[in-house]
Amino acid sequence: MHERADIAIDVGGTFTDLVLRLASGEIRAYKSPTTTGRIIDGVFDGLAQIAEDLGIPRDRLIAGLGRFAFGTTAATNAILEGKAAATGLIVTRGFRETLLVREGGKADTYNMYLDYPAPYIPRALTLEVDERVNAEGGIERPLEEQSVVAAIDALRAAGVEAVAVSLLWSIANPLHEERVGAIFARHWPEIPVSLGHRVNPCVREYRRTSAVALDASLKPIVARSVADLEERLAASGFCGTLTYVTSSGGQTSAEDIMARPVHLCFSGPAAAPEASRRFAALENIDGGNIITVDMGGTSFDVSIVTDWQIPLHREGSIAGHIFGVPSVEIHTIGAGGGSLARVDRGGFIHTGPESAGSLPGPACYGRGGTRATVTDANLVLGMLDPERFAAGRMTLDAAAARDAVERDVARPLGLVLGEAASLVAVSCEQNMVGAIADLTVKRGIDPRDYLMVAGGAAAALHAVAIARELGIRRILVPRFAGVMSAFGILTGDVAFTFGRALFASSATFDHAAVNGVLEALEAEGNDYLDRMGFADPALRSLVFSAEARYAGQVWQLTVPLPSPRIPDATALAALVEAFHRQHELQYAVRSALDAVEFTEWSLKAVGRLPDVSLAERNMERGAVTPSRRRMARFPSSPEPIDTPVYEIADLPVGVTIAGPALVEDRLTTIVVPPGSRASVTRYGNILIDIASPEGGVT
Amino acid sequence: MSTKSAGPDDAGAKRPGTVDPFTMVVLRRRMEAIIREMVNALLKSGRSGVLNTAMDFSCSLTDARFQSVSVALGLPVHVGAIDLIPRKVAEKHGSTLAPGDCFANNSGYHGNTHCADFTLCVPVFYEGRVVFYTIARAHLGDMGFPIPSTYNPAARDVYEEGLMLPCIRVQRDGRDIEDVIDILKANIRAPEQFYGDYLACLAAVRTGEKRLKELCARFGTDLVERFIDEYQDYAELMAKDAISRLPKGRVTRSVRYDSELAQYPDGIPVTATLDVDPDAGRVVIDLTENIDNLPLGINMTESTVLACCRMGTLNVLGPDVPRSAGAFRRIEVRMRDGSAIGRPVFPAATSAATTNLCHLLASHIQALYADLVDGLGSAYGSVGLPGSCPVVSGRDPRRGNRPFVNQIIMGYWGGPAVAGHDGWLTYGSAASQGILWQSSVEIVEQQQPILIEELSIREDSGGAGASQGGPGSRVVFRPRFGPVRFAINAAAHDNPPEGMRGGLPGAPTRISRIAADGTRTDLGITIDVTLGPGERLLSEACGGGGYGTPAERPADRIAADIADGVLTPAHAAKVYPRQAREGSGR
Repeated sequence: MHERADIAIDVGGTFTDLVLRLASGEIRAYKSPTTTGRIIDGVFDGLAQIAEDLGIPRDRLIAGLGRFAFGTTAATNAILEGKAAATGLIVTRGFRETLLVREGGKADTYNMYLDYPAPYIPRALTLEVDERVNAEGGIERPLEEQSVVAAIDALRAAGVEAVAVSLLWSIANPLHEERVGAIFARHWPEIPVSLGHRVNPCVREYRRTSAVALDASLKPIVARSVADLEERLAASGFCGTLTYVTSSGGQTSAEDIMARPVHLCFSGPAAAPEASRRFAALENIDGGNIITVDMGGTSFDVSIVTDWQIPLHREGSIAGHIFGVPSVEIHTIGAGGGSLARVDRGGFIHTGPESAGSLPGPACYGRGGTRATVTDANLVLGMLDPERFAAGRMTLDAAAARDAVERDVARPLGLVLGEAASLVAVSCEQNMVGAIADLTVKRGIDPRDYLMVAGGAAAALHAVAIARELGIRRILVPRFAGVMSAFGILTGDVAFTFGRALFASSATFDHAAVNGVLEALEAEGNDYLDRMGFADPALRSLVFSAEARYAGQVWQLTVPLPSPRIPDATALAALVEAFHRQHELQYAVRSALDAVEFTEWSLKAVGRLPDVSLAERNMERGAVTPSRRRMARFPSSPEPIDTPVYEIADLPVGVTIAGPALVEDRLTTIVVPPGSRASVTRYGNILIDIASPEGGVT
Repeated sequence: MSTKSAGPDDAGAKRPGTVDPFTMVVLRRRMEAIIREMVNALLKSGRSGVLNTAMDFSCSLTDARFQSVSVALGLPVHVGAIDLIPRKVAEKHGSTLAPGDCFANNSGYHGNTHCADFTLCVPVFYEGRVVFYTIARAHLGDMGFPIPSTYNPAARDVYEEGLMLPCIRVQRDGRDIEDVIDILKANIRAPEQFYGDYLACLAAVRTGEKRLKELCARFGTDLVERFIDEYQDYAELMAKDAISRLPKGRVTRSVRYDSELAQYPDGIPVTATLDVDPDAGRVVIDLTENIDNLPLGINMTESTVLACCRMGTLNVLGPDVPRSAGAFRRIEVRMRDGSAIGRPVFPAATSAATTNLCHLLASHIQALYADLVDGLGSAYGSVGLPGSCPVVSGRDPRRGNRPFVNQIIMGYWGGPAVAGHDGWLTYGSAASQGILWQSSVEIVEQQQPILIEELSIREDSGGAGASQGGPGSRVVFRPRFGPVRFAINAAAHDNPPEGMRGGLPGAPTRISRIAADGTRTDLGITIDVTLGPGERLLSEACGGGGYGTPAERPADRIAADIADGVLTPAHAAKVYPRQAREGSGR
């Protein structure tokens, strides 16, 4: 079916994951250590590993690739580590503090001893120009070109490598921002410039300014890293298509990403829900309602798919800086294998968010860590095999784990060791339950109707316990659980979102103006899909949405448009009703008599790629024999139980294993507690049925 | 004159039985999740700017003994004594409480904070009895005051304030009591905005009610109640332990508040005595030496006095101590009936009880700890609201001349310095501790027919010190079309926020009217002014006080502030002479 092989790559903090689809349709997964500083080296190490596995030279592998889909933390890390380009910011006179003030508020309410966070671009590089546009787009004060030239001189002297322009109300009238852009092009043509109204056309100056500041600051490094990758691929004879994963989980061309690099924020993790969606579809799970959890060493990520749709939001942020462009909503908390357990002076246990990370790591790693972590607790409980951790590359020190849990948890609370280890696990699981509850509650959904997909090395240890708390009845642990995002990249669509600001109210709706905007967006979307090579209309789709609110509210909800144009009162009524429904779903009330206001119109242009299919495993039935047994302590039993351990590779398709059991492969242990049952699907995924859920989240 | 202790909780004997540590973890997280869900329900469906952009609201819950698990997710001044609300519901309506009831309270004489804080409380019934109360408190854009404001610092008594709701039933059987809602709508300037905000608060308390019933169904009321008791013991132990590590001592301190009364020409004195007894694990704050109720709206209420003392002390005790009833048992507050810093005696006005004197007292409590020992507590943060946080009203020609009234929260900065850290920029006052969100310029201009010409850091406004106070803001408003009325409730004009342990005070607040010809007039602190097009309102907000002697401030921090343009070299030479000399000598 495919003539060429495709590859998807997700560069993570520790590992670079690679998923290859061979021309035959077979899919293989690989991991290679991430080379911090020069991540492309790690990618090429991984490619060499694949070539060796296939028994061909690396360059022949690369030359034979049809698609090279890349998810990279380059942008996220540059922002986190403050390594993006030195960037200047041009603002309306009188408003230099936008990035400093952000939107106010304070997350850590109870801690008075904190430093106020620095702005993304320092005040000294934030320059004012004389101009002012008002809320209706009228010119209160014309742009003084001389003030722009003066700012250019100052920024040139300061040696900035990129410039962001964010003027008040540029979304109501972009004239001044466009003029500033033109003056830069005339006076300093080589400097990359980003304009606020183009990057993130939303009301609220902070969100627009933050997005454009991030965008400009990423341009130089993204341009360099794209050029670097293209050059190295070309040198190996690559003649396929290179795409980058965007914040919204779709993929787009290298040219698009260089023009709008802010869309690279969360590039890799954004593809995880896509992977869940594909696995669920493959397994014929009804409803398309999925909660994806991904747990590694330091963090726990949650995302939601409802009715097969991946919801996007506009509030994504990195290190507290909002990037504003539509992104897959991923909620991350500090709960992972390395999360530290401690008992406070009042005798209450806390797990995380402080983490031992991978260095020094949990006590049982023997790398200098001495404090009890979640991994130590799992080892004490018998959930982990000290001899087979991380594909057998590491032997865990069980005595060190016992000592740490005894000293840090059991003794202060007067518990026996096993109870203390269980308590660490429960405490960590409660944090994860809270993270899922927050995200589902925020979207007005009931997790009991959802399938949980568990990815990452550590999620399957806790998945059943979390699911039971939430009343979730089924869990899917995919065969590629360890490389979820890379799998999602492989199977993701080509997609990009375009937006325009235009205020409209249902009370005084200007059909012509709105339809004009929708038409312009459609043209942009079609150009994009043409450029990306989607000629077949069956593979193209355009999805319109609007940001809407009740008159008087200031927060918008995203509402899909029921029709691609709003020609008349009937179409408007349908749109208004769609908003009422959405509001009712999320906030339990509707104000049927209030006018609905629209602030922004968006289009997501999607080019569908062919579906992937996983090779089916043979259905031959064999005997189900545990590979080994070990003593494991489940929360329901006061004493450890002699528990069978199965190798996934040895399990025949269709066989059901009743808990208590442990199911393992090279990288993951799946805990199947008493009362739950696990089965291997014909695609080699593990499906867990939770016999008696304990009810819903409260 | 009576002296009553409001500290120790009056809950009955602890319910028998213990709760295992597993259940403790699970139920604590559940309770916190329920409050977060209440907040979420309120935030995004609120209508007025103070709700949906400034987040000036709080949600909480208590058990039938008025014990809270977490008063998290709210303004300290809102939540520090929110238990007074269900207490009043039980006291006043105990015999007639029924499922589906909901009560509204905005009365400082019935446990509420101040008149514009509209508080709803639902008794949560399970198996035929009240098990919990859910509470949502929101600062509304209007409460039917004689002037379009939500504070009236100049009010001589309650009759010059807004509509009073002395813990009254607004819903029965889960349905609005139409007559009551009609009275509210008839007295409040923006009735639709009010009703939208009411629905948002209702969504919060009803959501909490639903979730608590589910919790009881799943875990059993008995277990949930025993958990609440046990949790109070835990919180108390944490507070006691934290107090035991403080130095023993007694500190009395007085500070002055800007006076507009002939009776107090040198300012209104605020006095507190702090007694820390680490051996007993107990803190006593005595406020009985304060003046009688004033003929002004700035008199405090029992709720705000308690909140200032409890939350200020817990800030010092650290983030690990739960903000719950058990912890409050270790903090005794002594106040007097009929005192401006105590329980008001009817008909004293209290509509500015969460701002003005309250801002000063909240900072004052933290300053007492700074007096107790170096390194603890804080300097003084902003006192009063700056001119950039006005209640604005008028008509909007862009919307068919529709009337509008709303409070803007902008440039509300000026955090106090603490040991080792400069003041938090977007702090506001010690009563809100940085939790309020700051309005977007664009949203303000979209909602009101005004143009904001500047929103920037006011140079040299943070108090000098080893740690520097947070700067105040400089904001300029201009009406775009017709007249716009600004009601402002400021302070710190004569008495700017003080520094501690050698730190200097922040710059004083100045609010001015700028006429079309550029003439500038100082408007004082209690302002009700109508400006026309061509006129401007200039707000120069106070900065926070510094902490520690200026001579100890690192030279690189001074150089960085000069480079950023927030500290002028001339001012640096004045307040940091040593560093300035050494810097220029380099």
